[in-house]
Amino acid sequence: MSEVVGVENSIDLDQAKVDSERQPSHKADGVWPRLRIQHVSKSFQSKNGKVYALEDINFEIQQGEFVCIVGPSGCGKTTLLNIVAGLEKADAGEVWANDYKINGAGTDRVVIFQEAALFPWLNVIKNVEFGLKLKGINGSKRRSTALEYLKMVHLTKFQNAHVHELSGGMKQRVAIARALAMNPEMLLMDEPFSALDAQTRWILHFELQNIWLKTKKTILFVTHNIREAVCLADRIIILSSSPGRIKKEFLVNLPRPRDDNDVNVAEYSMRIMKELKAEIDKVMKCEMDADSCVECDIKCTTEGVAKTDIGGGI
Amino acid sequence: MYSIFKRAIFFIILIGFWELLFRCGIWPEYVLPSPVSVYKTLIRGFQDQTFIIGIAISMKRIAIGYGISIVIGIFLGLLIGRVRVFEETLGSLISGLQTLPTICWLPLALLWFGLNDRAIIFLVIMGAVLSITVATDVGVKSVPPLYIRAAKTMGARGWKLYLEVIIPAALPHIITGMKQGWSFAWRSLMAGELLIVCLGLGHLLMIGRELNDMSQVIAVMIVIVIIGILVDRLFFVKVEKRIRERWGLVKG
Repeated sequence: MSEVVGVENSIDLDQAKVDSERQPSHKADGVWPRLRIQHVSKSFQSKNGKVYALEDINFEIQQGEFVCIVGPSGCGKTTLLNIVAGLEKADAGEVWANDYKINGAGTDRVVIFQEAALFPWLNVIKNVEFGLKLKGINGSKRRSTALEYLKMVHLTKFQNAHVHELSGGMKQRVAIARALAMNPEMLLMDEPFSALDAQTRWILHFELQNIWLKTKKTILFVTHNIREAVCLADRIIILSSSPGRIKKEFLVNLPRPRDDNDVNVAEYSMRIMKELKAEIDKVMKCEMDADSCVECDIKCTTEGVAKTDIGGGI
Repeated sequence: MYSIFKRAIFFIILIGFWELLFRCGIWPEYVLPSPVSVYKTLIRGFQDQTFIIGIAISMKRIAIGYGISIVIGIFLGLLIGRVRVFEETLGSLISGLQTLPTICWLPLALLWFGLNDRAIIFLVIMGAVLSITVATDVGVKSVPPLYIRAAKTMGARGWKLYLEVIIPAALPHIITGMKQGWSFAWRSLMAGELLIVCLGLGHLLMIGRELNDMSQVIAVMIVIVIIGILVDRLFFVKVEKRIRERWGLVKG
């Protein structure tokens, strides 16, 4: 993949300072930010008292940007995504999409969940058509649009298959096609690949990047896997856990398509993790059984193993 | 194939045993007719169309009653399954009524509707509606919340959410309830027709009794059993199999 291309100065840590003072930006250069999250807080009542899942979250996402939110389990990143999706309500704060305030789910923000959430009573093509049918688009138009997106994820061969006949990776690809078929302004992805095996995830990282390059959708992607985030994102927002706050932001300026196993991606991941040692310890504690590559990367840094070997097979 | 063969042999032996009992002459013919005379009555019944008319009338009643009970049952099931208030109130009423044998509705039906079709249809509805309601309720409650969230982000809301997601997702349960409801409906129909004399298969049974014609009684009983089995095999078993295949609950 890409050779070392200006890696040294591409993590822009200064830029990353989260500035909660920053006013919600308004039509700078005549363009609204695609998504504006302002002072969003959310807490839950648990047995041991109030848990602050999110505390005063502020950030913006520009049109066409690919943003990853990374954080340990229970840091509220899924809650944040659900709030953006309109599936949950924030206790305080506002979320704006373009020029309207988000209040409930909308077809401009389709969510792709960790489990594909395909409907078993519909076959593959009808699953992809689902949202179009709800929009009231007629049969033949619906079918051709669905096929177009099914082709984008290379699954036209399986258009008449039942959902249970697909592998986990195929299901996620159908879910992506189903979301794209709606032609949403934003894709919200909630750890969509974390239940998949390493090879499948590796392939899907490529596919997702290609789709993003082709469609130029704005993507908000939640993951606990820093390597995945570096591989996919333009910008990475790190959330800390309890209370869920924005800890740091990183910009990633590597050329695309990126490869999980690429040296630069690995190096980026390590540098982010160095910055976030404390948070990673929390991640480790929270996710002993998770599949994250955090563990192997840390081992590599501490033992000084040749960097080219890092995460060879994730 | 092999099981069909075994079944055929079983029935041949059963009929042979029956014929043997008949030939022993222990009981008079109005208590135990021969299989041959039952067979003849069956043929005659179909030839002179009395059975066909009886079947047609019974099927019409059950089609109306069962159809109405499907609509009411699914509607009530959705209410109870999705709305807390209805679950706490209507739900307890439904589970209480389930303990009431359908035939206990007969006096009420007679007083409300009189000795007529409407009373029988009412019985059929009361027979089937509770099973369908309860099954729909269970089905709705077991719809994975993820399906509903996914559908919502794709713009499903209101009645479309019910029509496109909740009902299809609950369908395996609903079909089971419909199957059970069908057998209850069929029984209620027969009970109603026996007690309210106005044609139909149940009425043919009663005519057999009044004429001391045991072969007609048995012939009609056979027809009732066969219709019950046919509906189960031709409809419910096939639908259930298709659903199971589609959902991947069994291997093809």
